[in-house]
Amino acid sequence: MPGEILRLSDVSISRGEVPIVHDVSLDVVPGAVTLILGANGAGKTTLMDGIAGLVRNTSGTIHLDGVAIDKFPTYRRAQAGLGYVEQSRTAFRTLTVEQNLLVSQAGDGDLDMVYGLFPELEKRRHLQAGHLSGGEQQMVVLGRALISDPKVVLIDEMSLGLAPVIVSRLMKAVTDLVGLGIAVLLIEQFAHLALEVGTNVYVLRKGRVVFSGPCEELRGADQRLHELYFGAAPTAAPTTAPVAASTAATPAASAAAPAAAPTVAPAAGTTPAAPTGGPEPEGETR
Amino acid sequence: MLNSVIAGLTSGGVYALLGLCVVLTYRLVAVVNFAMAAVGSMGAFVMVSLTDTGLNAWLALLVGAVAGAALAALLGAVLVRWFGEHDERTKAAVTVGVYVALMAIGLRLFGNTTSGARRFPAPFDAPAFTVGSVVVPQSVLVSLAFAVLITVGVGLLLGRTRVGLRLQALSERPSTAQVVGIPAPRLAVAVWAAIGAISTLVIVLVAPRLGGDFSTLGKLINTALAVAMLGAFRSLPLTLAGGVILGLLEGLSASLEAIQQYRGIVPFLVILVLLWWRSRGEVWDTAHSR
Ligand SMILES: Nc1ncnc2c1ncn2[C@@H]1O[C@H](COP(=O)(O)OP(=O)(O)OP(=O)(O)O)[C@@H](O)[C@H]1O
Ligand SMILES: [Mg+2]
Repeated sequence: MPGEILRLSDVSISRGEVPIVHDVSLDVVPGAVTLILGANGAGKTTLMDGIAGLVRNTSGTIHLDGVAIDKFPTYRRAQAGLGYVEQSRTAFRTLTVEQNLLVSQAGDGDLDMVYGLFPELEKRRHLQAGHLSGGEQQMVVLGRALISDPKVVLIDEMSLGLAPVIVSRLMKAVTDLVGLGIAVLLIEQFAHLALEVGTNVYVLRKGRVVFSGPCEELRGADQRLHELYFGAAPTAAPTTAPVAASTAATPAASAAAPAAAPTVAPAAGTTPAAPTGGPEPEGETR
Repeated sequence: MLNSVIAGLTSGGVYALLGLCVVLTYRLVAVVNFAMAAVGSMGAFVMVSLTDTGLNAWLALLVGAVAGAALAALLGAVLVRWFGEHDERTKAAVTVGVYVALMAIGLRLFGNTTSGARRFPAPFDAPAFTVGSVVVPQSVLVSLAFAVLITVGVGLLLGRTRVGLRLQALSERPSTAQVVGIPAPRLAVAVWAAIGAISTLVIVLVAPRLGGDFSTLGKLINTALAVAMLGAFRSLPLTLAGGVILGLLEGLSASLEAIQQYRGIVPFLVILVLLWWRSRGEVWDTAHSR
């Protein structure tokens, strides 16, 4: 794929001694949203942590704008143009909104650009981030990534536990980022929503890429998505592993996304901190 | 009576300084540093060894502070490099190990309580002014001013400067700080170095009053930790106040005939009472403090 800004080649990543991600190759292009989908525990977060340098890859290479960054410590990857919106809301709670932004300001990033994107933050610029609602905190984290003048922004389930209105608000902001020519790599539990904004998609299962291609191919293809998440015929599940049986029940909720989402998520407006992202079956590996 | 207040203030300023060093280390790099006073003593003894050879005291102080900074930076680098992922207990345990090692090395190099007392220069022994019949030495003012300077200065640094914001970010979320491009390891080592230098200055300041032997000075960590506890390992102003109050109480109890012989346990009682008093708010506090 020409013009990729971030390229992973055969990347494997372990947590401690446990191998989690296996031989993943993927390309992220500027001005588009690239998706990573997969069931809980598939290794999506681990993959992003690996790209950001929070865990080291055990093999393979990671290139950002042609530079091999996999030997860089995390902060140098950030300075090289990698923004990362981590899975749990990671605003610096004791700092004000504006301080959160200033702390990561670099290059051409400036406050006005962020406040233009999120006017609600400008009104609260002197408030401690810990006092903001979950959605606003997520805006702070997005803004904080944007103000570092990144080439690529990794976004891990920013919708976790947020009301649908807020989620679409944040999705809108993501497409705005893309409009600025930034490349976005997005993990999202609401697959349907994500497939709407995405261009290319990679599906991970048990740490391996089991599908890659244009988003069109998976839009509305619930059955296909379900199979990609949890492996082929549902009849095979009981024989392969006992755990898989319980896991297989959940995707329905996850893959049926937008229809299920409004009922699962709390009412718009207030946004509780507790993640309501549905059941989290674990133990794919262990 | 007034005499003992003055004496109390002198110790109080020093106690506050010791506590501030511990609290700063904990807040900024999340390590309970048992080796703080020993590192400072090493720096102080580098200085006094140089003045013994006839070097200018200020120059020697500079070299000593640099030595203290370098030693602390080394300890910090080890903690960052090899114990970065470990929890606070493990890091504290490492500093205990370093403390024991430094004490052994210090005793070996600089002698014990009886043989090792050095003459530290005491430039602030001159009287600053007299209240009634009591002479107030400059050292009281110097240690108090130094403590206030650190409290206010660090407060301004953290809140008003970019490096201060980065330090706050680092202490709140170390890994996220790196994610936003903050060079965490470098910044942490710089903090260690600064605290090493400050610890050296503090030890140099107290050394003349305490006899100037390595083991007494290195063991000041006990007092330092106690004072830090008064500030809940978090608040600089509370630590400052706690140190001064502790010193005053100690001074007062020394002046009262009846309890004079028990004055050693006064700090302990104060801490006990304060901890009990604070713990009532704990139910609400623990959710916010680490
Ligand atoms: N520190 C760790 N040590 C060992 N295994 C870990 C560690 N952290 C995560 N894992 C395991 O790695 C696997 C992948 O976790 P990861 O968080 O990457 O999944 P995910 O796809 O992001 O899931 P989710 O959708 O729930 O966020 C899980 O099985 C998890 O139990
Ligand atoms: Mg995850």
